[in-house]
Amino acid sequence: MPDEPSGDQPQDKPKPKAKPKIPRQAMPEQAPEDRVRNFKEVPFGYSEELAVLEASRCLNCKNPKCVTGCPVHIDIPGFITLIKERKFIEAAQKIKEQNALPAVCGRVCPQEEQCESKCILAIKGESAAIGRLERFVADYERNSGEVRIPEIAPKSGKRVACIGGGPAGLTVAGDLIKLGHEVTVFEALQEAGGVLTYGIPEFRLPKEIVRAEVDYLKKLGVQFVMDYVVGRNATIRELLEEEGFDAVFVGTGAGLPSFMNIPGENLVGVYSANEYLTRANLMKAYLFPKYDTPPIKRERVAVVGGGNVAMDSARTALRLGGDVYLVYRRAREQMPARAEEVHHAEQEGIKMLLLNNPVRILGDDRHRVVGMECLRMELGEPDDSGRRRPVPVKGSEFVLDVDTVIMAIGNKPNPLVPQTTPELKVSKWGTVEVDAETMATSVPGVYAAGDIVSGAATVISAMGQGRTAAASIHRYLMGEPEPAAAEQAAAS
Amino acid sequence: MRLVIDNREVEGREGETILACASRHGIHIPHLCTHPNLPPFGACRICVVQVDEMRGFPTSCTTPVREGMRVRTATPELLKLRRNVLALMMIEHPSACLVCGKRELCDKFRPKSEKAGRTTGCHTCNNKDVCEVRALSEDLGLTEIPVAPLYHMRPINRSNPFIDRDLNLCILCGRCVRICEHQQGKPVIAFINRSGKTHIGEAFGRNLEEAGCTFCGSCVDVCPTGTLADRYAKWYGRPEAGIESTCIFCDAACALRLGTKDNRLVAARAVNMGVPVCMLGRFALPEFLNGEDRLKTPHVRVGDTLREVPWDDAIASVAERLRPYVNDGFALVCDTTTPIEDRHLLKRFTNEVMKSDRYVEITPDARGVSRARLPEGTRALVTTGNFVDAGELDGLDAIIVLDCYPTAVSERAHAVLPAAVFAETEGTVLDGPGTPRPLRRACASPGQARPEWWTIAHLAQALGGEGFAYESAREITAQLGLKNSALLVERDEAPAPALNKRLARAFFRGHRIEEKVAGLRAMQGAEGRPADAVAIHTEGRFLVVEKREIVPNAHEIVIEAPEIAKKALPGQFIIVMVDERSERVPYTLCDWDAEKGTITLVVQEMGRSSRKLILTEAGDRLAHVVGPLGIPFEIKEYGTVALTGGCYGIGAILPIAKGLKAAGNRVVVVSEARSNYLNYYEEKLAGTADEFVFTTIDGSSGLKGHAVDEVGRRLRNGERLDCVVAVGCPFMMMLTSEETRPFGVKTFAALNPIMVDGTGMCGACRLTVDGKMKFACVDGPFFDAHQVDWDEVRDRREAYSFEEIRSVGRTEPVTMLHDGAHRGCGCDAHAKAGVK
Repeated sequence: MPDEPSGDQPQDKPKPKAKPKIPRQAMPEQAPEDRVRNFKEVPFGYSEELAVLEASRCLNCKNPKCVTGCPVHIDIPGFITLIKERKFIEAAQKIKEQNALPAVCGRVCPQEEQCESKCILAIKGESAAIGRLERFVADYERNSGEVRIPEIAPKSGKRVACIGGGPAGLTVAGDLIKLGHEVTVFEALQEAGGVLTYGIPEFRLPKEIVRAEVDYLKKLGVQFVMDYVVGRNATIRELLEEEGFDAVFVGTGAGLPSFMNIPGENLVGVYSANEYLTRANLMKAYLFPKYDTPPIKRERVAVVGGGNVAMDSARTALRLGGDVYLVYRRAREQMPARAEEVHHAEQEGIKMLLLNNPVRILGDDRHRVVGMECLRMELGEPDDSGRRRPVPVKGSEFVLDVDTVIMAIGNKPNPLVPQTTPELKVSKWGTVEVDAETMATSVPGVYAAGDIVSGAATVISAMGQGRTAAASIHRYLMGEPEPAAAEQAAAS
Repeated sequence: MRLVIDNREVEGREGETILACASRHGIHIPHLCTHPNLPPFGACRICVVQVDEMRGFPTSCTTPVREGMRVRTATPELLKLRRNVLALMMIEHPSACLVCGKRELCDKFRPKSEKAGRTTGCHTCNNKDVCEVRALSEDLGLTEIPVAPLYHMRPINRSNPFIDRDLNLCILCGRCVRICEHQQGKPVIAFINRSGKTHIGEAFGRNLEEAGCTFCGSCVDVCPTGTLADRYAKWYGRPEAGIESTCIFCDAACALRLGTKDNRLVAARAVNMGVPVCMLGRFALPEFLNGEDRLKTPHVRVGDTLREVPWDDAIASVAERLRPYVNDGFALVCDTTTPIEDRHLLKRFTNEVMKSDRYVEITPDARGVSRARLPEGTRALVTTGNFVDAGELDGLDAIIVLDCYPTAVSERAHAVLPAAVFAETEGTVLDGPGTPRPLRRACASPGQARPEWWTIAHLAQALGGEGFAYESAREITAQLGLKNSALLVERDEAPAPALNKRLARAFFRGHRIEEKVAGLRAMQGAEGRPADAVAIHTEGRFLVVEKREIVPNAHEIVIEAPEIAKKALPGQFIIVMVDERSERVPYTLCDWDAEKGTITLVVQEMGRSSRKLILTEAGDRLAHVVGPLGIPFEIKEYGTVALTGGCYGIGAILPIAKGLKAAGNRVVVVSEARSNYLNYYEEKLAGTADEFVFTTIDGSSGLKGHAVDEVGRRLRNGERLDCVVAVGCPFMMMLTSEETRPFGVKTFAALNPIMVDGTGMCGACRLTVDGKMKFACVDGPFFDAHQVDWDEVRDRREAYSFEEIRSVGRTEPVTMLHDGAHRGCGCDAHAKAGVK
């Protein structure tokens, strides 16, 4: 790939010539020793000066590869240029053309695998800190109180139901309301946001930000119906036939925790990561007894798994006062978690027990966890995923002295909607089958995206799929044909 | 003098009662109203005996011994008489559990009692572990109560800061009235009214505070039933250990018996129950020591923040910070609530290590206030409490705090070292006249808090101090020649604060005690109400249309929720959050009306969250109601179906019965209750079922026994049952399962475990059915009862009981601890307090 020439910024005031020599700017953050006992966000974010400095590293490529790495195709050079010009509000608006939740994505997207991995600067050094800049402008806009309402198309008279108020549903709602449709989001829990609210901890994504993003959608006119369980209060068929919705979007997520199927998993003190995080985040158990949900304050905690959810669980357990082990059956390189998350977790003092696999959980006569038996592993031949398969080391069993075990080994799609919608085609894994181009399900007028389609994946991929689904729903509502070619180009 | 008791010649003492003489000789005479700290009374007549040449059956507790007396204590006549006396007494006490045929099984399956709002049997009584009536009924072999019980449905009196009073449990033994009179001179409680209306209470309808109660707690200590209870401690059950130590809230130095559970202090009372202690020693101490915001780990200042560090680092860091002030501007401030041993080291540290004469030891004033001015020229300070005005700190270069709670001083400190205090540490303290009294360690200190002697010894050693290598406080005790100090057990008169609560101290180490103890905050006349008192917000979306306590502790609540009413099917449940801070708690739907858009629940008050729900009343709005959830009970033609319901299950089986009846089944409904007064929905169930049988555990109406007994009887008689459905507590469902198993009858149980989201997302409601993991919320709530692991179900339900108990008093609104407790119950105090 040829190196793009830099310097195509005629409007710029004098700047250091050797731009790449400005190092990638780190975000100031709480010291690990301080943050392990509080739930405040770890990084403080860029100051205006740092943001402008970092933005000045961007080469403003003519053919920006970063945009192709973004699942929602944000005009990255566009918003970074606005930062250089200190037009922070405009920069935020620029992102919002493509992404309804920039403050969230700036925090939880795996940018190193997406936009930043394509950055030209990354070839010879470190990529521009696109995620941090996105986060900065989103926070700037929110704190400025100058959140602008974009132009909304004239009312189409069409009504869309979004099932689930998580990242996919919020994206669909945001896109469709701007296109003039009436959108209602049905949320089963007491607060919208899905995994952003119940799953991702406060110290990584303050709930105030999720609430602000939801409020923004409310300002755009999106209706939110809380405490409403589609599948129980109404089926999809009823939404379409009786409740007068013209289209339905299913974004119910991967809300069914997996367990290992080893003895002792029903003991008191064993939690799914979902339960553990929901208690801590959504139910605010860490503020017990001011909040009524009891916390899980135990001494020695084992978190099983190597993904982002495992890191979130481990770091939450640490903040609730525990001594925390992370038990993962493969090696560090094979951890699915973001490198930054693993780094943060280690920095905070989580003990990594890599190449170890639990075989059973031990309990006392009151069904309370008193330990977890593990088996050491070694790496064998590569498996289907291309990662070297962990193989048990015979006779290497040992008991880890823990009183709490958190299973963070993934989620299956929530079965409630598929169960109550027999006409909806479902794969053998329980995911809803869709046309990859349009996100249309087997039922006309019903679209799906996010973890209910892909199993457990990321927030941004759910949002990317959501954007595709929203576009398809719009065409469906307006009776437009499927522009297959155009669609392909946009999705590639 | 010589007399004969049960053919044994014994030595009697002048003025002694027969009961006292007998027990001195190891002869057991059952008794109840008498108490070692009280003069004879003779109210209960359990201790009756027969005496030659005396008419009738004199009470042994009031009859003095005489020369040559011949006493019989255990004739068949007496045993019968005592049993009858007790049975009569039990008519006005929730006594079904005392005569329950499954008592042993129940105690084995669920040894701990459940924290019900109203006690309707031993299993929901706070006094179960230590109940004298329970012990007596076993002693006397009580198996039957001849007359149906009478439950007066009196409101639970919570109109005071510390004591719950449930007159429905009172047997009028009068111990409380007598101890109050005996110890306080003029009793604040008395027998009110006569004959059938007699009860214990304050004159003129006042509450305890208005009547001048000092809250010495003696009445609670002597109550043989669960009538009077220490609100903070009541659900802990019998403490695991009892250590006797000295109270250091003031220099009266009362001897306290400290009860612990899981190494935490849960209760305190006087060692010598003949002399009262003050409300701080009796009620405030456990809550004070268990405060959520206790300092638990060492912190050292780094820039703007106090950072948590290991002890070694903290000691090293503090030593470095203090080193420049050796012989130059160092001062140490402590007060005399610190044990002598610790103060000895504090002083030596100041003099020998820091080479300073600025050792300031404050003796608290009558209110417990300890304030000091720093000596001139102080630049570095160690303080063991909140003793110094913030203004004085401005010029200091080093501030080191050894304390138990955060203060304005600790917030500005360079290091904060958590201290183990009071019952968490040991040593010696001086009482008012200067006699050394032992302070003994009863419980663990929170987190890594350490005794002051330990901290200061390590600090001294880090600064090169010699002679600070101590292993325990006892070594210092020995060195100071303070060994063998004795508790102040026998005293001629009660300490002043025990007779006048206004004289109780307000501060401990400069901390306002009231701030840490909800009961003290709730005292009438206290200054202001704490800002963080938890309030119930009832401005949500879901209107409470109706609410009434249909039978004791079971509340029927009708809620406007059209989206749920429209879709509800038999056997489904909902999840309720009363306000935005509530837990998500599942309740089974008992009825619904799609036209009116309402749903009906029957809620048992069994803890904090259900309490919050039942405290709402018509017109309030609940924050969140979600449902209908769970897979409905499969309504089809089974043939003959027996439905058994207990507690909330009586209401919960109604829709299933209706559905099954409509589907053409022969429906037999068997409901169970402890006693006649706990039965409800009889007409609704009788009107629905083909056959309706009502059982009571005490046989007070319907058939005597449990619902499962009736099912078992029918099966043994060869009656055909195609399906059995049990809804109730795990114990009842487990029993049903065991009964039907040998007959191979398909049996369903409705599982209602702890849930969070209720839609399958979290898995909190896991259970093992047929060896497989199931989620009650999406796979249930109905499961094959024969395949359920019932012990696991029980233990998972108990997962948070300890946390819940611990949080009582700190989570309930102060108003709820006070007159607001009467919200919704319709009693006088409620009306008087003007609470709606």
